[in-house]
Amino acid sequence: MKSNTTRVVVGIAVVAVAVVLLIVLKDDGKSASEEVEGTSFDAPAKTDKASTGNEKGQGQPTIPTIVIKNGEPVGGIAELTYNEGDRIRFKVDSDVSEEIHVHGYDLMKDVEAGGSVSFDFPATIEGVFEAELEGRGEQIAELTVNP
Amino acid sequence: MTVFLPIAHALVARGDLPIPAWLFAWGASIVLIVSFFALSAAWREPRFEEDHWRPLGAGLSRALLALPTQILCGVTGVFLLGVSIYAGLKGTEAPDRNFALTFLFVTAWLGIPLFSVIFGDVFRPLNPWRAVGRAVGGAFTAVAGQRPAHLTYPEALGRWPAAVGLLAVVWLEVVYGASGGVAVGLSPHAAGVAALVYSFYTLAMMAVFGVEKWCQTGEVFSVYFGMFSELGSFSVKNGRLGRRRPLAAATHWATVPGSTAMVIASIATTSYDGAQEGVLNDAIVQVFEWLTDAGLGLTASLRLSSTIFMLICFVGVGLIYMIGVRGMATVGDAPSVKKLRMGFAHTLIPIAFAYLVAHYFSLFVFQEQAQFTYLLSDPLGTATTDLFGTASGGIDFKVLSANAIWYVQVGALVIGHVVGLTLAHDRATAYWGDYRQAARSQYWMLAVMVAFTCFGLYLLSESNG
Repeated sequence: MKSNTTRVVVGIAVVAVAVVLLIVLKDDGKSASEEVEGTSFDAPAKTDKASTGNEKGQGQPTIPTIVIKNGEPVGGIAELTYNEGDRIRFKVDSDVSEEIHVHGYDLMKDVEAGGSVSFDFPATIEGVFEAELEGRGEQIAELTVNP
Repeated sequence: MTVFLPIAHALVARGDLPIPAWLFAWGASIVLIVSFFALSAAWREPRFEEDHWRPLGAGLSRALLALPTQILCGVTGVFLLGVSIYAGLKGTEAPDRNFALTFLFVTAWLGIPLFSVIFGDVFRPLNPWRAVGRAVGGAFTAVAGQRPAHLTYPEALGRWPAAVGLLAVVWLEVVYGASGGVAVGLSPHAAGVAALVYSFYTLAMMAVFGVEKWCQTGEVFSVYFGMFSELGSFSVKNGRLGRRRPLAAATHWATVPGSTAMVIASIATTSYDGAQEGVLNDAIVQVFEWLTDAGLGLTASLRLSSTIFMLICFVGVGLIYMIGVRGMATVGDAPSVKKLRMGFAHTLIPIAFAYLVAHYFSLFVFQEQAQFTYLLSDPLGTATTDLFGTASGGIDFKVLSANAIWYVQVGALVIGHVVGLTLAHDRATAYWGDYRQAARSQYWMLAVMVAFTCFGLYLLSESNG
């Protein structure tokens, strides 16, 4: 009887500790990922001039550029984070002729081999969306829109 | 080498945002507070062991259970399965434009559990294989002048064939669709072939063991959807439609071997689907790399590494439950471990349902818009048909805000937790004559439920899709 009670108390303590740990770890995970977002993408120098959809861009941070080599994004899938109401802007330099599809927002734009294409649209839908090379089914970016 | 797993589910166009830390903390706190409150729950006599079934109006029963209604439902089920198989085999390979994937894996797979909880076992009349089996059986009896003879089903197998089948169905949905080391999701053609193969297998088993016997034990969808229908109020007994006390029927569901495996498989597969893109992603990629280094092909490596982790989830969920069972067995006057294991399995059904809602609620809301617009009018996705004039429709992803999704997810887990605890407490009062022993045994089930609910919250707080 005694030992059972002890076991139960220990069990509940373990669970409580686990929950607290999860919450703490969760916070760590959040701040870590925010740091990653902060360092996200340094656009190559040519971006500012080459970009077409840049009229409203005065004083804006540089537009992230995703470089496609051999049909794959250089440096892996680009993680881009926005808040609802922001404008989602990014540019794709591609060495292959492809159609770029932003899911959820359902935007399609063609890009020539060796060419580039810019996206600029308002972040109206919250959630996680992928942008992919439609023909290859290759994901190139993950767009996160926070509320 | 590219390895990534983000679109194991080929239909997810808008993925859920991870629940924020503050909501995670609130959810976990509410769960703990509710749990400690549950420890002092007042009732000392079991309240759900009897289901207090009462017939509804005879006219309603007659209309809903009449032979023409049964035939109509059966034909509808066969027709929908036929359309799905045909669209899968002949339609576009774009997963989101093909009727087959959305109908089979969203409308039916996610929708029927919801309808089963609310309206009872709706799949039974619609079950296309049962309908075909009964029609063939009826024709045989008419021609041969005697009922078809069947082999005796080995009762020791119980619901094990359905539990294994459940793992196989989810494996097909989230693991099989790999190509060249990339999780591309199941293709419509593969879904069509799988539905065809499953149909042959099911009809063969029905011929061997009998239609109703196989539906009770081996037919994955009957057993799976039937499990959720046990939570609800409506059921058919002796040819009459009736109402019963909610949750009460579930207390006698897990009396057949394999039932525990079935409910654990349900929780485990949903967990795996939620974890593969977040918590388990790195581990899966690691095993994938070991396998490719060992000389295995890219596709085989990804499938094998994903399979290993799906099985780990199954074993893990089972272990958590067994710790609870073993713990309860240490309390004085406890029944045998076997009786406890089967006696508390039904308390996990609400958890399984809560996991389904938490992980797939948004997908269901978005994809059903597609189901009833362009997928209905253009099932093959060829852009050449417009049966109902809705082919140009689309999904409005703005119908749900991120906040709305989070509240539904956390709400579902908390409610599932409370219902699970309620059933466990009730069963304990039935098994332990002494109320204090019963309460003591429930510290263990409480730990199990808290573990599942907090694990569910944790999965939601990591990235998922």
